[in-house]
Order: sequence, then C-alpha cells, then structure tokens
Amino acid sequence: MIGHVARTPAPAVARHPAAVHLSRVTRLFDGLAAVSQVSLDIAQGEAVWLRGWNGSGKTTLLRVIATAMSPTYGGGSVFGFDLQKRRTAIRGRTDLLSHETRFYNDLTAAENLRFTCSLYDLDNQRVDGALERVGLGDVGTVRVGSFSQGMRQRLALARCLMRAPALVLLDEPYAALDAEARVLVDDLLAGARTRGQTVVMASHEAPPPHLIDRELTMDGGRLVAPVEPSS
Amino acid sequence: MSLRVAEAIAVKDLRIEVRNRSSVSTVLPFAATMLLAFGFALGPDRLLLIQIAPGLLWLAALFSSVELSHRLYQAEAAGGGLEGLLLSPADKGAVYFGKAAAAFVQLLVLFAVTLGIVIVLFGLPLGPAPGLLLLTVVLGIAGLSALGSLLGLLAVRGRTRQAALPVLVLPLVSPVIIAATRATALLTQGSATGIGGWLGLLAAFDAAFLAIGYLVFGHLLED
Repeated sequence: MIGHVARTPAPAVARHPAAVHLSRVTRLFDGLAAVSQVSLDIAQGEAVWLRGWNGSGKTTLLRVIATAMSPTYGGGSVFGFDLQKRRTAIRGRTDLLSHETRFYNDLTAAENLRFTCSLYDLDNQRVDGALERVGLGDVGTVRVGSFSQGMRQRLALARCLMRAPALVLLDEPYAALDAEARVLVDDLLAGARTRGQTVVMASHEAPPPHLIDRELTMDGGRLVAPVEPSS
Repeated sequence: MSLRVAEAIAVKDLRIEVRNRSSVSTVLPFAATMLLAFGFALGPDRLLLIQIAPGLLWLAALFSSVELSHRLYQAEAAGGGLEGLLLSPADKGAVYFGKAAAAFVQLLVLFAVTLGIVIVLFGLPLGPAPGLLLLTVVLGIAGLSALGSLLGLLAVRGRTRQAALPVLVLPLVSPVIIAATRATALLTQGSATGIGGWLGLLAAFDAAFLAIGYLVFGHLLED
C-alpha cells in the first residue's frame, strides 16, 4: 500500500485541501434564501474578513461552515471533510464564536471551560491559563450568570484560545467588547496568523488590515465583488 | 463511547440542578399535591389506599419524568448549550447516556420522597422483599429516564416543542409504568409470584430505550 502511494502521489489538493471549500451553497428559511449560490475557497492559514449589512447572510454562512446548519442546496468541505458526511471531523477542528456564547449560567467560568475540556478531550490544566490570558483569572470561580455580555465574550475567547482550533469562525467578535477586550480579539487574530490557523471573521467593523489577507462582501445572501488584499 | 463525556454531562446537569433546584421546586410539589388529592378523595379505607398506592406512585413518577425531561433541556436550549453540544466532536451517544444518568439520579431522589409520602399517607408496606422492590424502582426509573432524556430533546428541537412531550412519552412509556406498577403491587402485598416476568419486561424495555437513545440522539440533535 505504501509503495502504491509512492508511485502515484496524491494530488496537491488532497494533501493540502482548502480550509473551506463551498460550492453553490444555498440555505433557505421558510422558502427565503439567507445564503444563495455561494461558492468560495479559503486557503489554510488565510484570514478572511466577511463584510456586509445586517441580513446579508454572513452569520448563516458561518453557521453552515461550522456545521451548525446544513446547506439546503450545494455542498462543500472543511479541510477536505465533507460538510454533510464528516461533521464530527470538522467540529473537532473548528470553533464558532458568536454573540450566543453557549455557556451555562449556573456554572462558574472555570467549570464551563472544564466542561469544554471534557467534550473536546483536552487537559483541564489549560483552563487557568486561558482565563488569565483574557483577564478573567480573578473571576474563574464566579458563576457565568452574573457576567456581562462583554465578560462572556472574553470567556468565549478563552475557550477558543484553549482549544486552538485549525479554523476560527468569528461572528461580530467586536460587539459588546470594551477597548481592552477588543485588543484581545486582535491578539487572537495575530496569534492565529502566527500559528497558521485559518480565520473567517464576519464583522461590520474593519479588523486591523495587517491581520487580514482578504475581504469578501455579502449582499442579499450572495457573495459579491471579492476584494484582493490591499497592499 | 467516551465515559469522560458521559460523566461530564451528568455531573454538569446535576450540579446545575443542585444550584437552582428547578426540578425539585416544581416537580415535587406537583407529585405531592397529586398524592394528597387522591388520598383525600379516596377516603379512609386503608385497604383501598394500599391497593391503589402503587399505581399512584408510578403515575406521580411518570408525570415527574415528563416535567423533568423538559427541564433537562431547558437550560441547554436557553443558553445555547444545545448548540455547544452539537458543535463539539463528542460522541453524541455518550452525551445521551450522561443526560439519562442525570435524569435517573434526579428521578430517583424525587421517587424516594414520593415513596415516603405514600408510605406515610397511604400506609403502603414495603413488603418482605425490599431488595426486589428496590430493583423494581431502579428498573422503572431507568426506563423513564432513558425515554425522557431522548424525547425531552425532541421537545426543544422539534417545531411542536413542549406540547409534543406528553403525547410522545405517555404511549411509549406505558409498558414500563404497567410493569413497574404490577411488580410494586405484588411486592408490597407480600407476594413474589410472577415478579420475574415483570422485572424482565422492565429490563427489556430499559435496554431497548437506552439502545434506541444511543443510536438516534445524535440525529435528533442535528439541524
């Protein structure tokens, strides 16, 4: 088997598949298209800023990539794993940060992160360090129910830092964050670039240009006028 | 199956319940009120009360399990936790077992309190084989937990939501309730004849519900 592979090397696309490959993805809600005929390729390690007005389909597109919802038509893959058939493989490599932070109010910040460690089979020892990095080291034993939205967002950033997934999907990451916490998002982007993580960020607000490779614009559920990275 | 995931889910659910006591504060008063109402309605005929007590006990357990099943997923759905479970690569079957284990512990506690009320109010004897009675309780509660943990998810994910839960649970769980009631009645009346059949039926339904839950939970969780 090894000899066979050596004689017929796999094509480059198989060894280094696009981080995200979408082919004519459409997602309908009650017959209305939130995302329509979107085809897209994002290379591994690339950082993409997805911009567009409210209702343009950015969030839905991120959720399709994260396998939180299935495309109604079309298909695609993440790191070569089919969106429909290999969801578990995709989920292990992806983190979606959105305004819905997915924490339990009756658990403390540290307990929530330890729960994440259990789900992702990570070492619990990562928790304290992650909390420190987002400035929540002092409130690790406080229940998340008493957290502001900004603190929850920080905690979600801690979860992402702790997991270090290959693909980071950010949905309006600057929303509800103060200036200090916004720096954390930029740090996350910078760190992702250093580690070779792929980032897709949907945001009204422009991220620092040096942290982004490409801008994409969505309008009415469609991808319009892809813009090459500015020099 | 990942035991770590199942354990984490069960511990998380129980920790949340201990901290907010939502199930105990809503389910227990309901069960107690039902038993008190029946107790007063049936009058002081002790023989009648003892005969009817096993049925009432399991009826209270059934209604408690319906309410508990809904609450089990309410916290998940409200905070986006359900999506957190969905988007994790964790074995969804293990998630289901964790949920069922948490429901089992909570229902067992509720059942123990309810049983205490029935013993005091109805004068129900525990019979000469308390070990078999305990086995009946464990198997019956396991069946209710296994089914409720599966259908509770359906109630928060489906379009029909909570209204669908009793409609789904009640017909499916009837064999468990009948077998548990019959076994409890036999044991509390001092007879172990035919008990094996009822316990076997309970065990078979438990195994079937757990197997089905393990296999289909992930599919129900998906979009």
